Amino acid sequence: MTALVETPAERMPGPAASTALRRTPPLPWLRERGMGGSILVAAISSAFGAILLSATGFIGAMLKANPYIGDSETLAVVLVIMSFLLIGVAVYVASIVTANTFATVIAGRTRRIALLRLIGASARSQREEVGRQGLVVGVIGAGIGLAGGTLVSWAGVVLATRLLGLDGLDYAVVQPVLVIPAVVVALTTWAAAWAGSRRVLTVTPLQALGGSVEASHDAVARRGGRNGVAITLFAIGAALLAGGIVLGLLSPLGVVVAFFGGVFSFTGLALGATLVMPPVLRLVGRLFGRSATARLAAENALRYPERSSRMAIGVVMGVTLVTMFAVALETVKAVMIASGDGEAPAEMTTLVDTFAAIMMGLVAVAAVIAAVGLVNLLTIGVVQRRRELGLLRALGVSTGQVRRVVLLEAAHITIAATVTGLVLGIAYGWAGAQSLLGSVAVPPSWSSPTLVAPAVPWLPVVIIVAATAVLTLVAAVVPTRLATRVAPVEALAD
Amino acid sequence: MELSSTDLGLAARVQQLTKTYGAGESAVHALDGVSVGIRRGEFTAIMGPSGSGKSTLMHIMAGLDAPTSGRAWIGDTDITGLSDLELTILRRRRVGFVFQAFNLVPTLDALGNIMLPFDLDGRRPTALERARIDGLVERLGLTARLGHRPHQLSGGQQQRVAIARALATAPDLVFADEPTGNLDSRSGREVLALLAAATREHGQSIAMVTHDPVAASHADRVLFLGDGRIVADKARQSAEEISAYMLASELGTAAPTTAVPVAAVATAQVAS
Repeated sequence: MTALVETPAERMPGPAASTALRRTPPLPWLRERGMGGSILVAAISSAFGAILLSATGFIGAMLKANPYIGDSETLAVVLVIMSFLLIGVAVYVASIVTANTFATVIAGRTRRIALLRLIGASARSQREEVGRQGLVVGVIGAGIGLAGGTLVSWAGVVLATRLLGLDGLDYAVVQPVLVIPAVVVALTTWAAAWAGSRRVLTVTPLQALGGSVEASHDAVARRGGRNGVAITLFAIGAALLAGGIVLGLLSPLGVVVAFFGGVFSFTGLALGATLVMPPVLRLVGRLFGRSATARLAAENALRYPERSSRMAIGVVMGVTLVTMFAVALETVKAVMIASGDGEAPAEMTTLVDTFAAIMMGLVAVAAVIAAVGLVNLLTIGVVQRRRELGLLRALGVSTGQVRRVVLLEAAHITIAATVTGLVLGIAYGWAGAQSLLGSVAVPPSWSSPTLVAPAVPWLPVVIIVAATAVLTLVAAVVPTRLATRVAPVEALAD
Repeated sequence: MELSSTDLGLAARVQQLTKTYGAGESAVHALDGVSVGIRRGEFTAIMGPSGSGKSTLMHIMAGLDAPTSGRAWIGDTDITGLSDLELTILRRRRVGFVFQAFNLVPTLDALGNIMLPFDLDGRRPTALERARIDGLVERLGLTARLGHRPHQLSGGQQQRVAIARALATAPDLVFADEPTGNLDSRSGREVLALLAAATREHGQSIAMVTHDPVAASHADRVLFLGDGRIVADKARQSAEEISAYMLASELGTAAPTTAVPVAAVATAQVAS
């Protein structure tokens, strides 16, 4: 009889269940794989924002203090706008990474969510919980980033003041404006977690009872609408890019048209990642050959096409941006040489190279964020595949073969992403330089308009490829260690 | 001189096997001095209630786990001293597995799963092996399913693919761990009949761990485990005889698994 009396209590929806779960150590879910990585992503973006704003603020103060430069308001404004653009890029990449991480973490929680649903928790309350977790992750990460970024800025300012001998300059590092990126990061992390938690709504209580086999391929939801938008954006962007290049032969204003072409087409690509990346991934998979390990790795990388695509698209963005600046500025030199029919002036070359190096360094932060996301997702992927790895070990896969599978899986994504990023970066960089300078005439021969082929500087490309190789190895370290530690018996007993 | 497994007509054997978890007063003896042989060309069932040590015995015999003391042989190979890599290769080449669930690699299709032991060895099956596999696929009714992935197959079909994979290399011994545990009774009977036929027609040695008297009744020989010891070794039995023996010896019949009440709750939920 007592059992019957207690039944209503057990049926209490969501909040009761989650309160009960939360009575144990505070925020135990923070220990779940993926959360640490998400905090790191938020911290990097927020620190980057703080450092960049401090740097521009400091440069602005420096210019103001210099009587010879005089009125430099415009330059300061341009610098601030550029920092916000760069922070925007970093935050954008970070949101994609975070949304993807949360979607993956939730895929691993399916059974638990289903069990709570079975007991009577509503799908909404479950999703709200994930949203709250996103906010906590965002706030912690942004806070750490703000503190770290401010500290680094302070050290940088002290160092710069001393090195440049600007003793008279008084620049206060701690400023309210530094909080802006932190707040933005916290909010976007929250939003990204919410976006990534869509899948919670599709978990049914019946999944708690589960069949023996997980559906191995995400039924890539019918997203005709979204893909349509992606294709349209890409088409408009490509047309604008082409138009910008043609217009650029007449006027430097072509670069404005080309800029919007770039933004549109790239947003289209990011939205339609699930259309673009799987074929590239498949192609790379074929390069690995037909051995059992290569096939297992290739199939794994395509198991969740959506997850792999978004994992790759973050890296694609980073590589594209870095390559774009490298190629754009190399092409600028090429245009000047073609128009002037001679050597580019040495001081001009130095200026262009310096600018290129700074910009590449700044956008590389986006690549670092994408890399953190990649490591994070590969690790979760291994953790969620524990049982499968146990089965493989039982059937005769050696630890060496397991290691190779995980490494190939990482290589699969990084190679596909790097190749795509290099191609896109070369296209965008060339389009930018050509549309800006196609009409400009340079001494001594003043020929105009000029149309040059994309100039690809080899050093940045070598650095990018080397960085990708390092990223692959680093990204595989933790997952490999976890994967080779799976004992067949233990995994099969789950 | 010691007698080898071959002299004894055994596919696998263990001697004075013990497996202890924990230490001191809380130590649990999963296996307590077990010595037994699995006869070549026979379908052997290893029975016992939960916690009797039957799974531990199977794991050690198959080279998936190491014993605390004692020795184990697959054929004439003493596996207790082998390295992890040697054990892995031994499992790949000389042991077949059929588990209760999650038998197949989800990213490979049925054929890929069946061929996995060969692919892992980096070789193609010989003409003879190929003919054997073709025969198996046909016998198991999988011809039309070879291109399907596990999630596109029913539970019974998945188990049949697992059986095809386990038999493909003609291993010394096939281990089946509750192979019918997740199946309805009809698919379960089919799977058991296929295992029995593999022994009858190809002389395949099979060791099946189960707590289900009906499943055990398909075997040529039934070993009973209780509290980490072999308590009986009987020739083919009917399901009724096995149940009666287990009741009489207080080994308990198949304890209802937790799945039953949960499933009942689910049905109630769906209905409401």
